[in-house]
Amino acid sequence: MFKKFYLTRWFMLSTGLFISGQVLAEDWPQFRGSFVGGAASKSTLPDKFDGESGANIAWKVSIPGRSVGGAIVVGDQVITTTSDGLEQRRIRLLSYDATSGKPRWEQQLVARGRPYCHPTSANAAPTPASDGKHVVAFFSSNDIACTDLQGNLLWYRSLASDFPKAGNDVGMSASPTIVDGVVVVQVECQGDSFALGINISDGTTVWKKERPRKANWASPTSVQLPSGKTAVVMQSSENLVAVNPSDGKELWKIDMGCSTTPSSTVSNGRLIVPSGGLTALDLSSAGAPSKLWFENKLNSTACSPLVDNDKVYVVNRTILVCGDLFTGKVLWQLRIPDANQIWSSPVIANKRLYLFSMDGSCAVVSLDGEEGKIENVNKLGDEVLGSPAISGNAMFVRGAQNLWKIQAK
Amino acid sequence: MKKTITLSPVLLLGALLITPNVGQADVTPQQLEPFRKVQPGDDAGVAQASKLAKELSTRNDLASLTALRAMKGASSLGKNWLQGLANSAQNRRPAGKAELEAFLNNTGEDAEARYTVFRWLTDGNAEVRKQWLVKMTDDPSPEIRYEAIALALEPSELSEATLRQLLDLARQPEQVTAIIEKLGKLGVKIDQAKHFGFLTQWKFVGPFDNVGSDKFNTAYPVEPDYVAGKIADSYAGKTAAVQWVQESSSDPEGLVDLAKLYNNEKGCVVYGLAEVTSPSDVACELRVGCINAQKVWVNGELVIANEVYHTGMQVDQYIAPIKLKAGSNKILIKVCQNEQKDAWAQRYVFQARICDSTGKALSQK
Repeated sequence: MFKKFYLTRWFMLSTGLFISGQVLAEDWPQFRGSFVGGAASKSTLPDKFDGESGANIAWKVSIPGRSVGGAIVVGDQVITTTSDGLEQRRIRLLSYDATSGKPRWEQQLVARGRPYCHPTSANAAPTPASDGKHVVAFFSSNDIACTDLQGNLLWYRSLASDFPKAGNDVGMSASPTIVDGVVVVQVECQGDSFALGINISDGTTVWKKERPRKANWASPTSVQLPSGKTAVVMQSSENLVAVNPSDGKELWKIDMGCSTTPSSTVSNGRLIVPSGGLTALDLSSAGAPSKLWFENKLNSTACSPLVDNDKVYVVNRTILVCGDLFTGKVLWQLRIPDANQIWSSPVIANKRLYLFSMDGSCAVVSLDGEEGKIENVNKLGDEVLGSPAISGNAMFVRGAQNLWKIQAK
Repeated sequence: MKKTITLSPVLLLGALLITPNVGQADVTPQQLEPFRKVQPGDDAGVAQASKLAKELSTRNDLASLTALRAMKGASSLGKNWLQGLANSAQNRRPAGKAELEAFLNNTGEDAEARYTVFRWLTDGNAEVRKQWLVKMTDDPSPEIRYEAIALALEPSELSEATLRQLLDLARQPEQVTAIIEKLGKLGVKIDQAKHFGFLTQWKFVGPFDNVGSDKFNTAYPVEPDYVAGKIADSYAGKTAAVQWVQESSSDPEGLVDLAKLYNNEKGCVVYGLAEVTSPSDVACELRVGCINAQKVWVNGELVIANEVYHTGMQVDQYIAPIKLKAGSNKILIKVCQNEQKDAWAQRYVFQARICDSTGKALSQK
């Protein structure tokens, strides 16, 4: 009981912006939002929407090419990527007005790394990231570009040119994160495997850390330590490491087999790590975190887990499973009706969980009862693999071919 | 009555603020040199380019076409820097339609730059796009040519003559395959493997040991013997002496199935040897697709090496520039299989072809 209170209090006191710079409260600046938790408790989204009739669809923009990453929201812009043209070699970063959906600016480069991937995926697979001043777009081909908020190219790197054996022809998908002026990317495959810290102001390498030579699609996760400093946690099938984002030095390492698709989540002083089940680690003390619990029934196959209101949610194939954040005990599970494959990490807004299947149907699950309850299954009519972004009372969904704004009318 | 125009100081100041480079000359190609030279692993070059890019982002004196013209002859990374600057410049100070059309029509400009201009001119306007593409099926830009041929293939019925013409022009493997299939439906049989330039005649020796997947860099005697030009008839293999065997691929994509040839052996290495006769010295490309770890040598020189198992395979997956000499050229491939048990990790297969830098088989010239 004390531990629960302490951890909650520590988290409340120590919460800060993981992405430094000028990120606003309503921004959704990276994969799974500011706190990599995927929850926006103050937002209210519609239970019902429909892509075909336009019900509660504020706008929809068709985007050439294909993307399986999510969109981000920075101020009044919604920013996303796409890859199109011959072999998806044209890699593009696009900005739209969040209110109207009108195009604001576009950047377009050519992939210098191999753009090949499984047909399910796309070269535009990672979700971009922003610190409120810069936008960083990373692609499966290991091309990375940084622009300002007007779309001016500030720097560009081809990590596949710098490290020619980096790449995975099934496709790479780890999204970048930005911490204290350093862009952190994880490039893990059977060839050149590394994590890189890149100076966001000029694109130069701050640090490079060798990583296991095994395919890995999980994204780096920023966590706040009791010291007030921010660390970047990287998972692999061999271990879990935390590094100092400013110099890449290892702060701690735990030998444990982590999942290589879903990424870790942070909440209430706990690091929630997909690991063939779910492992909760205690971040409240200095040094390597100790294990609080492991629950193999909380197995996240592709989607990253998320936490809200002291509960943790995972998606095991097409089953949503809810567990107690403090004990790992499974509380309930719910089969998502008519769902086929699910890749999109769910989000939560005002006690509603929104979970997209690959075919674009979105299950809205109410979380305010003893057990989860399907309120609606909405059809968007677009493939969805990226995780939605929430800003205010709107949800921005990057479909494979369209960008959607969902908001109660 | 004579009209007196009075300039408000506020309006004048505003006019100056939105045109901050009044009287300033445009950025010259020479000023873009730092971008053109950026090389892989060149942190100092990236820092210099970034500093200049930041500076240019606050000004209005770079013309998009100046940046695109500078792409010609630039390094591959430099081209992307310049392309990014051109996009920003085009957002701020769009080039006129006539200027853009002249640039697109000039096939001497950089191919990627021309495709960028093509997109600026045609994105969101299907009719204009079509008008350009109907005359671009033999464009030197692979991106433009790909789109032009895709458009030409849209009609459900195409004559044999048209399809043959498109087949001669197409380079992208899937597009080439689609045309051959369409010709097939008209009763015209094309030797697809020959059209692509796939190597179909091989002799193989193996299996050698690769248990533990740690023999990728182990040079079995085949390798030094090949380099020395004195291949033996027999070698000590994984469990017994092994001899060379002849194998012909009849697959339209030149696939050679080593799993079939070596009875699904796992944890092993097999060497393949092919001979290519060239009428003259020629610079060309060796293009390999392989689901397993592989090394490839041409006339004794290692040109491709990828220690990657079961992460996808496709035509032209790995490309290396090579030089064939007049007469006989010997190509050696080392293909390694690991011991993964997953159903999707049982393939032991490769394909290799020789073509020019556009992807056209040499024999078609």
